Amino acid sequence: MSWSETAALEPLRGVGGFFAMALDTLVAIFRRPFAWREFLEQSWFVARVCLLPAVVLGIPFTVLSVFFFNTLLVEFGAADLSGTGASLTAVNQIGPFTTVLVVAGSWASAMCADLGARTIREELDAMRVMGIDPIQALVVPRMLAATVVALLLSSLVTITGLFGGFMFAVFLQHVTPGAFVGGMTLITHLGDVLVSMVKATLFGLTAGLVACHRGITVSGGPAGVGNAVNETVVYSFLLLFVINLVLTAVGYEVVK
Amino acid sequence: MSAGVLLKQRFPRTVAKLDGARSGWSRLGEQALFYGQTLRSLSDAFVRYRAETLRQIAVLSLGVGSLAVIGGTVAVMGFLTMATSGTLASQGYNQLSTVGVDALNGFASAFVNTRLVTPATAVIAFAATIGAGATAQLGAMRINEEIDALEVMGIRSIGFLASTRVAAGVIVVVPLYSVALLLGYFSGQVVTTVFYGQSSGVYTHYFNTFFIPTDALRSFVVTIAAVITIMLVHTYYGFNATGGPAGVGEAVGRATRASLLAATMVILFSSLALYGQTGNFNFAG
Repeated sequence: MSWSETAALEPLRGVGGFFAMALDTLVAIFRRPFAWREFLEQSWFVARVCLLPAVVLGIPFTVLSVFFFNTLLVEFGAADLSGTGASLTAVNQIGPFTTVLVVAGSWASAMCADLGARTIREELDAMRVMGIDPIQALVVPRMLAATVVALLLSSLVTITGLFGGFMFAVFLQHVTPGAFVGGMTLITHLGDVLVSMVKATLFGLTAGLVACHRGITVSGGPAGVGNAVNETVVYSFLLLFVINLVLTAVGYEVVK
Repeated sequence: MSAGVLLKQRFPRTVAKLDGARSGWSRLGEQALFYGQTLRSLSDAFVRYRAETLRQIAVLSLGVGSLAVIGGTVAVMGFLTMATSGTLASQGYNQLSTVGVDALNGFASAFVNTRLVTPATAVIAFAATIGAGATAQLGAMRINEEIDALEVMGIRSIGFLASTRVAAGVIVVVPLYSVALLLGYFSGQVVTTVFYGQSSGVYTHYFNTFFIPTDALRSFVVTIAAVITIMLVHTYYGFNATGGPAGVGEAVGRATRASLLAATMVILFSSLALYGQTGNFNFAG
């Protein structure tokens, strides 16, 4: 056994496999024929699974941050600035972040389960035998669907979150509605919205890639599929948090 | 011909819709029943199945499979809270410095981390690692008919599988959350003082001035309430998985979605209840 096959290098091999698959996918995007039908079906699937939970999850997060921010502002005697805090948190963090929690939590796990079940039934090997590249036929449309829908959903979640924050601040904490709306654009500008959209796109891309990678490398029967799904959720959350940290820091330098 | 059949033929869509609503309603009832049984059997977990509870504590804190390789639940949770607190510090520093009060970043860490960011992140990490893992395990057991085998052997399956996991989850989350909280504060301080170059005396002064110890205790209560909800939801979905390998995966997905929603609601309402209408905070001391 050579040194490169030791068990200690197993996690590294997983990382390498992930990058190799990401590269394959990137190349396969430009290869004809593009799987349009699969792409549309997957986009519809992502939207159907994620729409309601994303919207429902976006409201409590924004309401919580509005609540704590208002606690602070009331203390300063500046409750009129409540809208500033709401738009700051909703646009910069909560919109893309909630979307991706839901995309990673519900869509990516379902996708990994689906691909994993196909893998252990050896359907992917059958495809390869028939001369169909599973990356081109299955992974590319799924990854693109996750990317596109994450971008679209994040805008929707941001708006719903802002609406929820508005309702909470105006009706429960007695902030003037005009002041809330007026404060919204005080420090949140077009640049922040763009950074938020870039975030959502990258989040969707990563979640899609992780789900597909874990799905097509499953081994070990039903328990293996369960574990792969669990790992998908954990790894995509981990990556998303890192991307969020980096993009927040980089976004400020770019927008400034 | 009975009236039911006649109705079905006359109004097929309405009857189908009513059937759907009824089965959804009864699923809700089944869930409530399962949760009630699980909570009632908690005494079993501590009296009859003490060894299994201990084993679950060990499994939950370290994780299984390749998760254990990267350091288990502790590492995942610590990493996630460090990332969110770092994001908060970065966002806070930039935002505060636009109005010239970047010195207050220590205050932002003490206030926002304790009350909102760390509980929310810890709960998300918990659902993703321990919760999803529990669903995957129980689902695989259900598919392989191991749960039925347990019942045949005369073991109380809910007490043995679900209650022990809920109990273990609540016990495990206390040290896990402490680690999360500490790492969160630490990463906020590192990002502010090392990356953005604020002097550490300024940071710690504002951090210590505005850190409210009872807030940390309250956030423990919030987290534990959310964790109980998460464990209940995840064990339910695992316990009732159907449909082969793909079914287990689907159950994990549905459970994660449901538990994230439920846990967020629990965080929202318990925070509102614990911190009160006014927010229970005095800036001026």
